[in-house]
Amino acid sequence: MRRSRGFSMAEVLVALAILAIVITTTIAMFAERTKRMREASETILAWQALSNEAELWRRVPFAQIDVASSQTFQSDLTVLTPLAPYTTVVKVDAPRADIRNVTLTIRWAAGREAHLAVARANTGGGNLW
Amino acid sequence: MVSRRRARGYSLMEIVVVMALFGVFLFILVTLTAEMRRNEKKWPVNFFARPEVGSILARMRHDILDATSFPNNIDTYTQSPTSLIVYTIAPDRSSAETVVWDLSKPGEVHRKVYKANLPPTEWVARQAPIFICTVEPMVVLGQPTDEQEVHIQAVDKEGKVAIDQVFVPRPHA
Repeated sequence: MRRSRGFSMAEVLVALAILAIVITTTIAMFAERTKRMREASETILAWQALSNEAELWRRVPFAQIDVASSQTFQSDLTVLTPLAPYTTVVKVDAPRADIRNVTLTIRWAAGREAHLAVARANTGGGNLW
Repeated sequence: MVSRRRARGYSLMEIVVVMALFGVFLFILVTLTAEMRRNEKKWPVNFFARPEVGSILARMRHDILDATSFPNNIDTYTQSPTSLIVYTIAPDRSSAETVVWDLSKPGEVHRKVYKANLPPTEWVARQAPIFICTVEPMVVLGQPTDEQEVHIQAVDKEGKVAIDQVFVPRPHA
């Protein structure tokens, strides 16, 4: 008898609430997964560029690693195209006269950034590692 | 038994509410799909998610870091963007071997090792992207150097650069 009269308001509201929770949770999970995948892709691209740049800075003659001047990335940055607009920074610190810490930084959208540091020592001419 | 209400159909209010709910879900679905498609178009394929690609790059990196030269040819291979020839220190650290990275077959990467007069050994990785390797002089602060670098690239089907790595042989005494 009850079924033939349809559902009560309370039954419909509970069913709608459950449906809303399930759908909201699914959408939130989906959105979070998409965001994480995008962040992983960004990080992978940034680290490839950092790694390539570090190979160059390992080989810059020690005398030319200048603390004062502002340096920029020298390597091919095609791989960073999806991250545009992005900025690259090379920062050089000299904790001792015979040591240079070169910190490479890439900053891109949404305040994200990746760093890689190369420590160089004055070996007296040879680029020994 | 059918109730009188059902027999008369739905009220305008009921239909409007159902249509509104349907519209909201449809809007969310379309927005998410559009976001996914935008991402797909903007980002290259993440080849690093495949274990084979990590394995290829790790072995290639090892060969190149220990390389002492890049011969022009060996066996039927010639140094080219689809076949990288590396003369490198063998894993036993007391001898050398010539390694050929054959990248010419789509989806496959072959690593052939030639050592003295022994028959070549081969390692194959499948489900690989199309790699291109170029050996070129390294440029530091705008000046070409005596060192050579190996530039490894892989693009996805859309032509977007997904892998771009530079490996440079370590200095050897």
